[in-house]
Amino acid sequence: MLAVVAIHAIVAVAAPLFVRWWGRHALWVAAVAPATALVWASAQTGRVRDGRPVTESYSWVPVLGLGLDLRMGVLSWLMVLLIGGIGALVLGYSASYFASDEAGLGRFAAAFVAFAGAMFGLVVSDDLLLLYVFWELTTVFSFLLIGHDPGKRASRRAAMQALLVTTLGGLAMLAGFVLLGQRAGTYRWSQIAADPPTGGYLAAALVLILVGALSKSAIFPFSFWLPAAMAAPTPVSAYLHAAAMVKAGVFLVALMGPAFASDAPWRPVLLVAGTITMVFGGWTALRQHDLKLLLAYGTVGQLGLLMVVFGGGTRNAGLAGAAVLLAHALFKATLFLVVGVVDRVTGTRDLRALSGLGARTPALFAVAVLAAASMAGLPPTVGFVGKEAAFAAFLHGTATDRLVLVGLVLGSTLTVAYTLRFLWGAFARKPGVAVVAPRRPGVAFLLAPALLAAAGVAIGAAASGLDELLAGYADAFPAAGPGYHLALWHGLTAALGLSALALVAGTTLFGAARRVPLARIRLRFDGAAVYERVVGGVDRLAIELTGATQRGSLPFYLGVILLVLVFLPGGLLVAGAPWPRHARAWDTSLQAVVAAGIVVAAVFAVRALRRLTAMVLVGISGYGVAVLFVLHGAPDLALTQFLVETATIVMVVLVLRRLPAKFSERPIRTSRIGRIAIGVAVGVVAAAMAFVAVGGRQAVPVSVDFPDLAVSYGGGDNVVNVILVDIRAWDTMGEISVLVVAATGVASLIFRRSGALLRRGGVPSLPSGPRAPGWRMAGTSPEARRQSVILQVVARLVFYPIVLFSIFLLFSGHNAPGGGFAGGLVAGLALAVRYLAGGQPELRAAAPVDAGAVLGAGLFVSVGTGVVAMAVGGQVLQSAVLDAHVPVLGDVHLVTSIFFDVGVYLVVVGLVLDILRSLGAEMDRQQDLGDAREEAA
Amino acid sequence: MTPNLTYVVVVGVLFAAGVTLLLERSLTRVLMGVIMLGNGVNLLILAGGRAGGPPIVGTTPQDRMSDPLPQAMILTAIVITLGMTAFLLALAYRSWLLVGHDEVQDDVEDRRIVALAERDEGPDAVDDSDTDDDAEPRPAP
Amino acid sequence: MRVLVPLPVVMPLLGAALTLMLARRPRAQRAVSLAVLTATLGVSVALLVATSTGPPRVVQVGGWAAPLGIVLIADQFAALMLVVSAAVTLCVLVYSIGQGMADGNEETPLSIYHPSYLVLTAGVTNAFLSGDLFNLYVGFEILLVASYVLITLGGTENRIRAGTTYVVVSILSSLIFLTGLGLVYAATGTLNMAQLAGRLDALPDGLNLVLHTMLLLAFGIKAAVFPLSAWLPDSYPTAPAPVTAVFAGLLTKVGVYAIIRTETLLFPGGRTADLLLVVGLLTMLVGILGAVAQSDIKRLLSFTLVSHIGYMLFGIGLTSGLGLSAAIFYVVHHITVQTTLFLAVGLVERRGGSTAMDRLGGLARLSPLLAVLFFVPALNLAGIPPFSGFLGKLGLIEAGVASGGPLPWALVAGGLLTSLLTLYAIARVWSLAFWREPHTAMPGPEDTTHTRPPSGTARPRDVPDPAEFSGAMLPRLMVASTVALVVFGVALTAVAGPLFELTTDAADSLLERVPYIRAVYPDGVP
Repeated sequence: MLAVVAIHAIVAVAAPLFVRWWGRHALWVAAVAPATALVWASAQTGRVRDGRPVTESYSWVPVLGLGLDLRMGVLSWLMVLLIGGIGALVLGYSASYFASDEAGLGRFAAAFVAFAGAMFGLVVSDDLLLLYVFWELTTVFSFLLIGHDPGKRASRRAAMQALLVTTLGGLAMLAGFVLLGQRAGTYRWSQIAADPPTGGYLAAALVLILVGALSKSAIFPFSFWLPAAMAAPTPVSAYLHAAAMVKAGVFLVALMGPAFASDAPWRPVLLVAGTITMVFGGWTALRQHDLKLLLAYGTVGQLGLLMVVFGGGTRNAGLAGAAVLLAHALFKATLFLVVGVVDRVTGTRDLRALSGLGARTPALFAVAVLAAASMAGLPPTVGFVGKEAAFAAFLHGTATDRLVLVGLVLGSTLTVAYTLRFLWGAFARKPGVAVVAPRRPGVAFLLAPALLAAAGVAIGAAASGLDELLAGYADAFPAAGPGYHLALWHGLTAALGLSALALVAGTTLFGAARRVPLARIRLRFDGAAVYERVVGGVDRLAIELTGATQRGSLPFYLGVILLVLVFLPGGLLVAGAPWPRHARAWDTSLQAVVAAGIVVAAVFAVRALRRLTAMVLVGISGYGVAVLFVLHGAPDLALTQFLVETATIVMVVLVLRRLPAKFSERPIRTSRIGRIAIGVAVGVVAAAMAFVAVGGRQAVPVSVDFPDLAVSYGGGDNVVNVILVDIRAWDTMGEISVLVVAATGVASLIFRRSGALLRRGGVPSLPSGPRAPGWRMAGTSPEARRQSVILQVVARLVFYPIVLFSIFLLFSGHNAPGGGFAGGLVAGLALAVRYLAGGQPELRAAAPVDAGAVLGAGLFVSVGTGVVAMAVGGQVLQSAVLDAHVPVLGDVHLVTSIFFDVGVYLVVVGLVLDILRSLGAEMDRQQDLGDAREEAA
Repeated sequence: MTPNLTYVVVVGVLFAAGVTLLLERSLTRVLMGVIMLGNGVNLLILAGGRAGGPPIVGTTPQDRMSDPLPQAMILTAIVITLGMTAFLLALAYRSWLLVGHDEVQDDVEDRRIVALAERDEGPDAVDDSDTDDDAEPRPAP
Repeated sequence: MRVLVPLPVVMPLLGAALTLMLARRPRAQRAVSLAVLTATLGVSVALLVATSTGPPRVVQVGGWAAPLGIVLIADQFAALMLVVSAAVTLCVLVYSIGQGMADGNEETPLSIYHPSYLVLTAGVTNAFLSGDLFNLYVGFEILLVASYVLITLGGTENRIRAGTTYVVVSILSSLIFLTGLGLVYAATGTLNMAQLAGRLDALPDGLNLVLHTMLLLAFGIKAAVFPLSAWLPDSYPTAPAPVTAVFAGLLTKVGVYAIIRTETLLFPGGRTADLLLVVGLLTMLVGILGAVAQSDIKRLLSFTLVSHIGYMLFGIGLTSGLGLSAAIFYVVHHITVQTTLFLAVGLVERRGGSTAMDRLGGLARLSPLLAVLFFVPALNLAGIPPFSGFLGKLGLIEAGVASGGPLPWALVAGGLLTSLLTLYAIARVWSLAFWREPHTAMPGPEDTTHTRPPSGTARPRDVPDPAEFSGAMLPRLMVASTVALVVFGVALTAVAGPLFELTTDAADSLLERVPYIRAVYPDGVP
């Protein structure tokens, strides 16, 4: 069976090619796929009839209980025959239906065949989850098929509607399946059916599954999508909306009926929904002028009928249902195809414009009559056989059955009426309407409908053979009363009487409906409107909710995050964190003094209105923290903090010289108060958390052994440095890569003239002649220039000593405060001095290298050290201590991690250089351009 | 371990000040907020380790050394913050270059939807264009 | 085999260093990046094979035994993440080379795309491999700073604004993470996760819960969990297509990864399970409704990205083996499909000159190939069977039903509703951009197959100039890489069986905790 699915898949993929080669005739080739399904199934007939279902099983996702378990019993067999047979015929028909230059024919062929394959898979799935898989696939392909002509808004909307409605049902069904499967412990239907679970949330599961079935089969309250879907090409309607897809729901009900018909919600839901749909569909069909819509509403009614019959849940009802299922597929597909022909030969489907067609196209008329007879339930058609059986099934039974029977008779009355309306509308000669002049439909065009109509009659004639086959399915139901047998003639039974009654009543109704404006009476239920309202509601809700949550304001987002911080960890803190009993005010009272300084600086930094003031205050608080580090006993930290704060101030000042001196104050007090409130709250929470966390420490820190290890393994006395370049060198490696990328990012943001272009317009031209010095201390007067010259000399004098000192820091760092960072930053500051004194030229003179190269080299050296360690068989970044006697230098004690630190040094130098280049020199250049332009203007 | 209240207080203040600045619109203030928050966090980490003499073997007896591990963490954090600072500065300058100030603007698309919500309307991108009904597919140029 | 563990981090970093030094030679840069990422993929696959047949592989960096130094750990979960992310980053690199964005820019002194991209990769892999909480922070910083550079690439006005939002929010989340980290060390005196597992258990409940939520908050921001998610849709869409794609695929997932580690290794017992379920539900619904409200495809996809993070929280919050397994499976699926979709939309932007739905139209006719490249992953995202999105969702639903209880029921319902709404949003994109006839003039008939990246693509842009797509061709490399990812996504369906076995094993050992801890401390936790 998987092979059959595969064939469909292959043909579907190849179909567009075929169409490109052979045009519309390729559709005949595509028809091979469904044909194989038909042939294969008919080959299995004997075996299936003998009650030995065909099964296949492959593993897919065992964890989820989802397997490729296929099984073809009688019901599936019947469906496969319909799907394959009608599918092949309709594809052939399409070759005549579509114009040779039809747009998107390849897409159509592919989707159609793929749909047939999915439908095949659906009906032969034994694993419920697998069934859902194919179920959704049919939905998707029908989406594509309904939207065959995407230029039309109607077809787009119809496609979307069908997609959403059936998917909604499908998802409900999936939930139902999972509930059912969890309860039964398996998703294999054959096993569930053998021993159906009971109780618990089974009822819920069944309701959910029924929602899926009803939505797929366009049963009330989901009926509305089917008529809308008539926007699809007629072959699609004939196949999807008469024979195949809409039958999926019915199939599911038929499949599960034997197991669950007796359970609580099953029968009531089906009988009520089915009856409503039957009457609604039939009546609305009577009011249609478009033949296709007439058939569509007829289909809705018939699907209701099927639900009712299968919902009966007895053996005889099941038998009747199977027969009606077969009959409906045959005659409804035929009639749709007939409408397609009518449409093509006359150019209209409006029965008010059609007149005298029957006389012009007798063959077509004959076909239509045969099919219509089956629809109206006249002997000797299979339609008659099925309807008789249905009546009979509900004749002898409870009061409910009687009620249902009334519904059935009413339904078939309506059916007779709209059947007549169809025949009359399509073919009759109407007074006052111009007789149409149709083109003659070709034989190939009529082949499919003719065959199908003939089949309807033939099978009807061979009713007893059919009975023998279908009994295999029906017997799965609990028997109620004597077993019924399908036949054309049971003698003068009550069922026959009812048929006659329906026939007479229907005819009168049709007659009345033509004269009296009876058909004006509308059954008020507009599912489409409900759908529109729901979708519109979702859209509105989406807008409102998004508008409320997605404010687009950064402070708002930060505020939300911080509030979560205050309420979640903060709240829990208040709720139940253990408050430490002991605390000490300070380690040395000096800390308190420094702390006071920091606090004051911080508060004023918040209040400051001038950028520079604010930065200075921030810097002060930073230096204060550095002092705290010293007092804590962290010299390396203090050193680095001092250097970083200084570097930061330099950077910020470099940029601030371009920005307005004052912050632009917006006089919104409330927001200001809000900010402060959040700030204070966060501050309190943070402080409290620190207090509690520190107090909660019981265990001994892992770092307790570090000093010994630093000396013995790390080969250094400065524990912090050993941690950085050895014990946790991996962190440091990551951190310098952060620096590298940050530096490149800064450069990429500054070195873009396109930005300047955006704002100032015009291509910037480099000013010729000597570049003006960058950092203007006082105007550009000769006086100032002389000053800057003096500065430059001083800068050069101090430059080299500082650089030497930085290198000393680098190498001594292993045993004393210092190391790569400190060293690099010192060297960087030396460069900064040169730049500040003499601008770009001085900077270039001091460091005639590309910052990017320095960064890259540094990173390469550090990471390389780690790789080398691996290469010589150690762990990544493992260090070694080398002691050697070098003639001149004497005994050398070398720890390989020094190379790592050299890399760090390089990266930091590269970073500072890069920053000076971009935030310094490049900004000067852009400034000059600006000035030059202003002078020009 | 007994908490040091001085640290706790300073941490609180730095957090409060940092957050208040962070919530501003001026990118320069945001940057300063980040710097202050960073210092606050560093101090918080420091508080998690014992205070004492410099962790340099030979200068301090081991039982009176300060805990070196938090110091190493803070060192890493400091340097990373330095990188962030540089980048934020570049952003601020860039923004000034493009729009003439360093204030963080609201997101345009979001504001558009907020406006729709205030006008009680639905999404704009809906398939309501009747213009293209039955439109012949235009020949591609 | 242990020698391989550090390579996924080391190789990209070396590559970054090289590409920096080769800044002036784009071709060499490309060669290096491709080689490095291909090698990374190879190593990752090897690690996955090794870990799924044996115990987690542990490396003690610098030979410092845990808990002294930093340990790198490749367990099944980490290895799986490595493989997927490596595959995705490689594809995106090829795509971006095709787009010519990697060609650097004469106005920039150093061509920064390749180094930043490689460092980003290193950060991601480091985060996956790290067995040390502080190193996890460093890993985050690596990938974040690289992402800052990439998201502001080109420095146009939109990108600066969006980038600012992204950068500042991320910095805040990092500071929160760092705070939590400091608190954790203060309370336990260690950073090694395997050791933390025990020491955190020993803490008083109240304190333990505070630390727990601090970390969750930090990771929640990175993973874009409602209400911490609003920054994402504002920032991602403005970046160049490949950047958005790789961000959407990977960065949020790193957050999810961290959450999973937190919930399983550091703070087991699901004390925040209900919290996760609730925010998961909110994330799903708020996110997808946000998507419905959008009129630009990139933004719409960003919202679906947020929304589907909710599915993963759903799985994590169930704290059951199947739930976690499904969550991991969903992570794998989502990394792939979301990246693919953004790449496809990048093609749409080139072809149609916009990503605004009311500006596009008729793409299905203009470029059937493009239509397929969008339609398949779109269905996958919407959880249409038989694609991996459906399988992941199915696993979550089964797990939810199995757990039972009002909250899981609500999540099951919410999950189904979310996938319906996802389908709605996606179908609208299809109907408007691909089906409806275009209003404004669209570029001419497509011919793919040409290698020259069109001029002007060297500079990533927000507003495509008409001259750009006047020939509107899709560079072969871009198409090829997108196709590759689409195929990869569909292949997930084919291998779903073994893959689910794998994720289930991974989930079980995560919940068990023992394998991880024993791998680090073969003879007992100190």
